[in-house]
Amino acid sequence: MSVWEHRYRDAAAEITSPGALDEKILLRARQFKPVRRESNRVLSGVASSCAALAVIVLLIHPAQYLGALTPSQRPADSAQASPLMNWQQPGREPLAAADPWFALRSEVKAGNYRSLCQHWRRQQRGSTSEKLPRDLENEARDHCRILPTH
Amino acid sequence: MFRKDFQHLDDEALLEYYHATRNLAAFRQLYARYKDTLYRYCTQMNFAGAGAVLEELWRNLLERPPELCGRLLRTWLFIRADRLLRNYAGSDPEIQPGDPTPDNPLLNGLQQLPRIERNILLLHLECQMPLATVADIERLSLKRCREHYQRGRERLDEILHGPKRQPWRIEEVCV
Repeated sequence: MSVWEHRYRDAAAEITSPGALDEKILLRARQFKPVRRESNRVLSGVASSCAALAVIVLLIHPAQYLGALTPSQRPADSAQASPLMNWQQPGREPLAAADPWFALRSEVKAGNYRSLCQHWRRQQRGSTSEKLPRDLENEARDHCRILPTH
Repeated sequence: MFRKDFQHLDDEALLEYYHATRNLAAFRQLYARYKDTLYRYCTQMNFAGAGAVLEELWRNLLERPPELCGRLLRTWLFIRADRLLRNYAGSDPEIQPGDPTPDNPLLNGLQQLPRIERNILLLHLECQMPLATVADIERLSLKRCREHYQRGRERLDEILHGPKRQPWRIEEVCV
């Protein structure tokens, strides 16, 4: 665009359509009423309410929460993987010292069943007042049968 | 279609949309695109008749969709405005074109050009039409149209800056 054309544009930019003329033309345009398409509007209303209903049903559907409410239904391997299943109460080791069966239990854990079985037979005969705790009793029932009696 | 979608449509699509829906906002958009440039063209061609011609032009467009026949709406608008201006000038020969902005020398100079040169200059400058289209509107050959355009510019330069500087001529001194 040449300098001359620029000059023309600057000069002509001051001339703008007068407001009265705009009003007159827009008034004529207003005489033509916009075409209403009711069916489309109704159709879009129905479509959007159906979509909203579908979203609500999906959100509140009980199947969403099946996994959360029934953990026992899970497969076994995932239950083993869960850290909660093997959780042990902390502070069990310090209590071991206070446990009267600590010495016996550690022997059993080491694989030495002799003292346990002695205790077990004494208990069977009724010559001791101290009763073995249940876990030790179970151990004794499993292992003492094959050991020689003294 | 969303309410503001038509703002990105081009003129022809917008016109089609308007005639399909009669949406006033769509017409406003179309009108705003062309009102100033059409007004500038019409006032500089015929100051007295500009308002009437524009009203007639937009009324035609509102009442029935123009048959563009593959042309741009812009071209159609200016061809139609040119025809209406010619008819208007024919029906009211007494009315002389007034002076829209007497304070501007360039626009003043444009008013002093002959009608055909002014029309060609304005259609090319203001309406940004190619000279070939302008030649069609004026029913001239492209060559003749270009000559008119050049002559119009030269004449306007002369009005604005005075006649072209002549080479120095040494007068013969007769002793």
